[in-house]
Formats: sequence, C-alpha cells, structure tokens
Amino acid sequence: MSASNPPAATASRKTDWMGDAMQRRIARRYAAERRFKFFGLAAVAISSLFLAFLLVVMVGNGAKGFITTEATLTVDLPAATGSISPDQLTGPRLSATMASIDVRRIFDQAVQAQYGKDGARYFATTAWTALRDQLIDNPNLVMGKTRFWLPTSSDIDRAAKDRSTPEAEADYAVLTQKGDVRQSFNMQFLTGSDGTDPARVGIWGALKGSLITMVVTLFLAFPVGVLAAVYLEEYAPKNRFTDLIEVSINNLAAVPSIIFGLLGLAVFLQFLSMPRSAALVGGLTLALMTMPVIVIAARNAIKAVPPSIREAAMGVGASPVQVVFHHVLPLAIPGIMTGTIIGMARALGETAPLLMIGMRAFTTTPPDGLTDPATVLPVQIFLWSDEVNRGFVEKTSAAIIVLLVFLLSMNAIAVYLRNRFETRW
Amino acid sequence: MLDNTATTSTKSKMSARDVKVFYGEKQAIKGVSIDIDMDNVVAFIGPSGCGKSTFLRTLNRMNDTIPIARVEGDITLDGENIYSSSMDVVQLRARVGMVFQKPNPFPKSIYDNVAYGPRIHGLAPNKAELDQIVENSLVRAGLWNEVKDRLQDSGTALSGGQQQRLCIARAIAVDPEVILMDEPCSALDPIATAKIEELIHELRGRYAIVIVTHNMQQAARVSQKTAFFHLGTMVEYGDTSDIFTNPREERTRDYITGRYG
Repeated sequence: MSASNPPAATASRKTDWMGDAMQRRIARRYAAERRFKFFGLAAVAISSLFLAFLLVVMVGNGAKGFITTEATLTVDLPAATGSISPDQLTGPRLSATMASIDVRRIFDQAVQAQYGKDGARYFATTAWTALRDQLIDNPNLVMGKTRFWLPTSSDIDRAAKDRSTPEAEADYAVLTQKGDVRQSFNMQFLTGSDGTDPARVGIWGALKGSLITMVVTLFLAFPVGVLAAVYLEEYAPKNRFTDLIEVSINNLAAVPSIIFGLLGLAVFLQFLSMPRSAALVGGLTLALMTMPVIVIAARNAIKAVPPSIREAAMGVGASPVQVVFHHVLPLAIPGIMTGTIIGMARALGETAPLLMIGMRAFTTTPPDGLTDPATVLPVQIFLWSDEVNRGFVEKTSAAIIVLLVFLLSMNAIAVYLRNRFETRW
Repeated sequence: MLDNTATTSTKSKMSARDVKVFYGEKQAIKGVSIDIDMDNVVAFIGPSGCGKSTFLRTLNRMNDTIPIARVEGDITLDGENIYSSSMDVVQLRARVGMVFQKPNPFPKSIYDNVAYGPRIHGLAPNKAELDQIVENSLVRAGLWNEVKDRLQDSGTALSGGQQQRLCIARAIAVDPEVILMDEPCSALDPIATAKIEELIHELRGRYAIVIVTHNMQQAARVSQKTAFFHLGTMVEYGDTSDIFTNPREERTRDYITGRYG
C-alpha cells in the first residue's frame, strides 16, 4: 500500500470484493462468530451443570430428611394409669388429667415389656414426646390399649435409609422381620422447631422466623428505599452534597454483610436496648443491608422512564408529585421489583449479620411475635451443619431444600407481581 | 427590532417583552418580544438551533424543569406575568397546553389519556360529565369516529398520526386558552400531517395557537402570522403572507428561499 498518497490510491483502485484477502477476512469473521457462540454456549452449559449438580445432591440428601423411620410400641394405657373415666377427658378437666399422666414412665415400661431390658436402644431418646403429642392430639387413646408408631433411634433410622453400625443393622433386620418398623413422611420436620434429638427436630420455627424477619425487612427497606430513590432522582438538586450521598449509597451496597451485623449490634441492641435474638432486630439489620440495593435499582428504573412521559404529564398541568405517582412510578415499578427481589433474596440467605445480633440462639418454639427469640433458615442450617450427631446431616440438607423452596416461591410471587404491573408499550 | 412588535393589539392573549433565556452561561434567546392573539395561528420558523422551541417552552414554563435554564424579561397571559410568584405553574400549564414533537400518549387507555387532565384538575364532578369531556375532546381532535368503539384500548397502540391527535385531544380536554405545538408533524407521514393541519384550522379562534415548524409550506398553510427566528433573535414577525411573499429582512428572504438553514 502506498502510504505516501492514499487518497489517490483509493480513488483509482476499486475494492476487490471477491479477492482472496477479502475471502480470508470473511472466513475470519465467521470463525470469530462461531467461537463467540461456542464460548457462550459453554458458559451456559457449565452454569447449568453446576445448578443440576446442586439440585441433585441437595434433593438426594435432603429428601431423606423428610422421611422418618418409626417402630411400633403397644401401650396399655388403662393398665398404666389406672382407670380414667370419659368425663375426666372433657372440658376444663382435660389438661389436668393429661398432666397427671407420667408419659415418660409409661413409655419406658412399655418399651421394656415389648422389647426387653435394652429395648430403649430402638427408640429415639425423645420418642416419648412423640407419644405425648399423640395423646394430646387424641385424648381418647387414654381409654384403651393402642399400637403407636414412634420414631426410632437415629442409628436405626440410618440403617433403614442407608447404612449404619453393625448393631443397628442387626436391630433393624429384627424389627423388619417382625413387621414392627415402617417409614413415613416426617410431619414433625415441617411443624417442629430446633431440638437436641435429630429424630424430633423441625424447620417450622426457623421458617417462621425467616418469614417474620423478611416481612420486617420488606416493610422497612422497600418504602424507604423507593422514597429515597424518588427524592434523589426527581427532587434533589444536583450538587456536591447529593453527589456525596450517591457515592455513600453505592458504597453501602458493597459493604460486607457482617459489618451490618456489628452495626445492628451496636445500634439496636446496645444503644436502643432492643431484645436480643428477636426477628424485629434481624429484620431491621437486614433492611439496612437491603435498602441500598433497592435505592440503586429504583433510581435506575426511574431514570429509564422516558422524559417524554414526564413532559406529557407536566404539559397537562400535573404537579411534580402527580407526575411521580401517576406516571413515573407505575412505569418504574417492574424495575424496582427486580431490584427488590435481588435484595430480598440476598437478605433471606444472610447468616453472618444475624449471628452478630444473637439469632443463633437455641429456640425450641416458633416465635410468636416480633420480639420473641427466633432463628432463621440459613442460621438453622449453619447450626445443624455444626452438630456432632450424624442424624443432623440429612436434616441440614432437608433444611436447605426448604430454604430453596422458600426462595423460589418468593421470587415466583415477585415475578408474577412484576408481570402484572408491567405496562405494555 | 422593536418595530417587529408593531402588531401589538389590545386583544393579545399572551405577550412577551424582551425575553432572554440562558442555559448556564450560554444565551439561547436574546431579547424576543411578541404578541399572540386568539384569532391567528402563529408559526415560529427558523433553522435548527435558532431558539424557536426554547422560546415556545418559556410560554408555559416548561424550561423550569431544566435546572440551568434562566429566563429574563416579561411574559404575560391575560396581562398577568407568568413568571411572577403569584402564578401557579401547574395551573399555567393547564391554561397553556402543549403538544410535543414526538407523539407521547401515556401508556394507558385512550379514555384515560384524555380524562387524565380533567381528573387531576377536578373539572368533571361525575363520570357522565367526564365521559362528555372525553367525547368532546376526541371529537374536536377529529379522532372520535376512529376510536369511539375502543376507548379502553391502549393509547400507544394507535398509529403515529392518531397518537398525535390523541395528544391534542388530551391537551384540549383541560380547556386551555393557548395551545403550544412543538413541531407536531415532524414524526408523521403526509396524510397524518394533513389531518393535523386541518385540525389546527378548526381549532383556530377557540384557542390561541402557536406552532413551531421546520416545514415552511406548513407554516404558510396553517398560520396567519409567522415569526422568523435566527441565532436566538426574532428577525421578523408579521402576517404570514407578507413574510413569505415580501419579507422585509434580508435574512428572512434568504431562509425562505432556501439559501441557508
């Protein structure tokens, strides 16, 4: 190529579209397209693979957590308690009657009668509480001799599901032969709370704690975040001070979550003397963490509303508030929802800040209000994963499944709402 | 420059005196004085960037939304200064309606588009009257026959020309006194343009109308008075027929004969 006089060269030479050089360029371009497509596909395939792996492992391990192994125990209650007349089981006298029954002693006697001196090894240490719960659910059982199904020890449970110690395997074989053992759906896991015996623990306490915490977070972070975004976008003057606020919000969104835990500890517990381990404090702390995410997403969504709509509204004499609430926010809502989903999903899975404010407490009853001691799903998973008892392994996986289902249903609701609010252009 | 405003009459609806607009340090309008009356459609013509749209937007204070914009001089509506503190800008924009360059219906139903203004200003005490306002506005905008059976359809589903007439219906639904049109036909095809022009003829007399246009044939067709803007000044203002056949200023002649712009 003659560098000395390019204009003349281009003017005199016609581009050779069919020439070899051009064909090579075309081939290179196609190769680049194919390469890019391949890399993209590979990226999608790898992430799908990881997702599938996660789901298969989780469901495979966790599904067993929803199944419980139970053995029979025949209890002759009238013989053990003396005769209880039907009218003692009615109305106000019922609770007194039930309290007078020493279920634990009756359970021990029945086990020895049916399975011999070492029979207690077949059952979970808290199996008697299952017997108590069944009696409370159905007091008329007190009147007769009944065959109960009660949870087995965690060794036998594992023998039934997988493999266990040789003694437990042998015990399980004996029980199976006599038809004294069965596997059934573990309702207790969905209705109970934390405990020391894996056979009797449940997820409901942590699930309810998570629910209350999320509600607190949403009701605080969403309005505050959206209002802050609207003010910053629509009203605030552009100056050094608002620039500083913008930078601060962006930085806040990137602060590690455990720092928010320390902040919650210092502000809510120390300074404001709020109750420790409460869902209220957890919700407040997570709201601090979620708010910047919502502010950023909402500002971007508001920015994306075309100025022509604002002008149109102002042109017919809408006041600034009317412009925002009648036109800008309705159009920005889908984007705001997306940001909120991301923020809430992050808050739902958060463990570290909640440890800081004491939500790792051992709570055996579900929280009844904002200030009751509570724990949340990810913290519960963390606690169980730390347990020595092997029976907690499958409970941990099962709890993870519950957390994922919670997360997915939360997202599904949000996506549904977003689609409903989406305006067709 | 002052003799350009010789058309001042007692019945002028809006008048501007020595209006200057600054964007930060840059002066976009350099002292414009003009009178707008109810009987004549006024067209602003001039090359791109000459300030005609900027000036139009000072008439209903749309420039207020630009933080760095600053307006000097007096603009009055029925003798009342629209930049005085006693003037409510929200009400002003209802009294001085606006139609924009690109049709910008709300992403709502046709009915709600037209009913929005009357609703926020409380012009209709009940549903029946609101229905009547919507119908009248659509009739006056020449859109009623095309949309009367689908008032609940989205306004954005209409064709470009229909959308622009919907925007005009939306503007006249709040019963304004002045309608400002900022190149209302620049995004439309010739047939839709002809309909809008016809509509402007019909609306004349009922509202004071100011139209900014790039299209000189359009200015000649729809307006009775024309103002020629150039580099932030109003070069000439007079009867449209005079401007196009016998301009006083050299620059006006050059522009309308296509020598520049």
